[in-house]
Amino acid sequence: MRITRKRLFAWPGELRRRGVLGINRRNIEYLFSLNARRLYGLVDDKIITKSLCAEIAVPVPQTYAVINRFGAFKALAATIGQRQEFVVKPAKGSGGRGILIIVGRNGGKFRTANAETVSLDDLHYQISTTLSGLYSLGGQPDRVLVEQRIVPHLLFENLAVGGTPDIRIIVLCGEPVMAMLRLPTKASRGRANLHQGAAAAGIDLDTGRTFGGVCCNRAITVHPDTGAAIEGVSIPYWHRMLEIAGSVSRAVKMGYIGVDIVLDVNHGPLLLEANARPGLSIQIANRCGLLPRLKNAGSQW
Amino acid sequence: MIREKRLVVAGVIFLTVAGFAFIGLRLRNLHGSHLLRGESVWRLAYDIDFPVGINQRTYIAIPDDVQCSRVFRETFSHQGIWMDILRTRRQLAREAAIVPIVGRQRARFIAYFDIYVKPGAENGRVAPESKPAPEEIADYLEAESGVQPSSPVVSAVINRMQSEQASKGGLLTAIFNYCSETIVQQGMDAPSDANGTLQRGLGTTLGRARAMAALCRAAKIPARLVVGFVLDSTQNAGKHYWVEVYFNRSWLPYDPENGYAGELPARFLPIRRDGVNIVRAEGSAAYKGRYSIRRLPYPSVLGAVADNRIWSVFDLTRLPLGMQEVITAILLLPIGALVTAILRNIVGIQTFGVFTPALIALSFVQADWRTGTVVFFVILGAGTVARLILNKLKLLVVARLGVILTLVVLCMVAAVSILDYLGLTPSASAVLLPMVILTMMIERFNVTVEEDGYRRALAILAGTLAVAACCLFVLRIDALARLVLSFPEVQLLNLAALLLIGRYSGYRLTELWRFKELT
Repeated sequence: MRITRKRLFAWPGELRRRGVLGINRRNIEYLFSLNARRLYGLVDDKIITKSLCAEIAVPVPQTYAVINRFGAFKALAATIGQRQEFVVKPAKGSGGRGILIIVGRNGGKFRTANAETVSLDDLHYQISTTLSGLYSLGGQPDRVLVEQRIVPHLLFENLAVGGTPDIRIIVLCGEPVMAMLRLPTKASRGRANLHQGAAAAGIDLDTGRTFGGVCCNRAITVHPDTGAAIEGVSIPYWHRMLEIAGSVSRAVKMGYIGVDIVLDVNHGPLLLEANARPGLSIQIANRCGLLPRLKNAGSQW
Repeated sequence: MIREKRLVVAGVIFLTVAGFAFIGLRLRNLHGSHLLRGESVWRLAYDIDFPVGINQRTYIAIPDDVQCSRVFRETFSHQGIWMDILRTRRQLAREAAIVPIVGRQRARFIAYFDIYVKPGAENGRVAPESKPAPEEIADYLEAESGVQPSSPVVSAVINRMQSEQASKGGLLTAIFNYCSETIVQQGMDAPSDANGTLQRGLGTTLGRARAMAALCRAAKIPARLVVGFVLDSTQNAGKHYWVEVYFNRSWLPYDPENGYAGELPARFLPIRRDGVNIVRAEGSAAYKGRYSIRRLPYPSVLGAVADNRIWSVFDLTRLPLGMQEVITAILLLPIGALVTAILRNIVGIQTFGVFTPALIALSFVQADWRTGTVVFFVILGAGTVARLILNKLKLLVVARLGVILTLVVLCMVAAVSILDYLGLTPSASAVLLPMVILTMMIERFNVTVEEDGYRRALAILAGTLAVAACCLFVLRIDALARLVLSFPEVQLLNLAALLLIGRYSGYRLTELWRFKELT
């Protein structure tokens, strides 16, 4: 048996041959020239993105309330009413930061997705720090979104731990070029971001079937917590998702964005958010560089 | 894409050419001006330690303005004592008078004197404004410790000289020649009093000076000893001694060791006249005095403007030295930005805040990095603990940041005071870190711990510190500090480099590791 020593790094030439897109090149050649600065507000603020989606008939999680000033707490209690499940999130948050998912309640006590108990006071505090801009880009004052909690499709029952899996699709000039399924793990504490420890698998754009898999920069084939296979999963509504990604990218008029879609058990695919600076880990999940696909898509534009 | 590339290339070429052209033009100009005028700037440092404290008033002689040297800046820091500066009666020395603070054992006196030396005539000569009273002069004919004008040995030598020389001037020359030529210079175990030196024909610097003073006094020529320094870069500067002789209505310097008569080179700096000790105590005081001298880098100092042409606005070295230090720090900041840009965009290190590492590094440039690092981590630790407690109080963001800022300020002040009390750092400025930057860093560190876990927060902290260390390594280079001050045009080259980095689209070094699975 041959033992291959694990390599510590790749040579730049190897990465170039594999068409790997680096962050400098992404910024200079794609973001700066394809995404106009003045349009960033459309995707950075989820409330604006949602209203835009309403215009182009892209489904989104139902909004219960928007809180945009301190002291709107009485309204919060009224908004929540007797709801058992809801999500509190910053409008301009990134990387899943500052999101509180409530999955049940017992009178004034709320239970979160990671099985902690919070009171109404805790909710108020969370909202006030969010409004102050703790989670927003550059610390600008923010707004808070209270919206429908996503109940993941049953398909993901054994594939997500403590959070909602989502599908990230990179869109270049209206054309989907690469996609992955992101799966929260214990280590990522319910969030679907790769650098926070989530797992991911590439998705074949034509068939919507997952392949490969990665977690913490290691190749995997099963979910690190549940052991369920993450390869060969057929994503339902796949072509609808590609349509959503394309129409969102056309609506925001940006040439290079990442579109995050969740699959709700009752409502089907819903657009969660769009990202004007999509990360590059998707290449690791797909075991494939972005550059060749970007060149192909770009030539059709 | 293509257009931007062309613009950047054009910009880089323009900035580089302009930068070098300006530097070249001014280099030519500089050669003719004040660089070669023989001026120099020195820093004389005193570090006097009284391990068992002092119990009475003690006087420390400090440099004063004389013909060729001017003290243009002085800094004092002291522990366990009160201090006042005064001049002695008859202008023999400028002194720092120190008295013990009740209840403090150890006392320490640290001072820096920045001295501007310009060659000139008559250095070391003291011309009294009015003719001194006879009784004032009479003091300088008497015997004193180590100077014995009436001893048999001294009498024998002076009698022989008096028989050969008729005039007072001839006698003075003979005495000086005898002490500087006939008596041999020896080290520590040679005699250091007049009697012993004349008896054995050899002596220390002090012995030869005392021998000369004794011979002068025996010949009824008023003479007194002077203690001072010869300015030359050294970590452990020894005191130098020479003699001043009252002749033709002025006090003339004579240095038997080096053979200077009537005038001393510009680098001879008198500290105390009519005495051989820097520290003069009324009681008895045990002390350890360490003196060091170093040459300061700037070629020109205040008041030394070579020309008033408009071009001199580009010459920052004409500014007062105190301002030069601030300007140097400001001019180093863009260099720090360049280092940061290289480490973030080409190496790919993540940091808290873009300029946080550069600012931290800049505050360490003037400081002792060991005490600075300790204080830095104490503040970071205290801030983190406070932040964890504050989390429970659920304060609004601005109030919470205000609390952390207050804590950072208090830590810093306490650190300055404690380091001073322990005598660990000579200058309080050693620990003045950028407080607002530290506050934001503590906040971001804690938010990252909460959101992304300890591992990631510590990784970014390590990145921040690594970038700060690299910035410090570069910014500490003395030659670089001099370069940015002497040639602010270097900033044009810095801009060119930043433009180039701004268009670097290759892989970051950390990406070679991040994407290794893809090969």
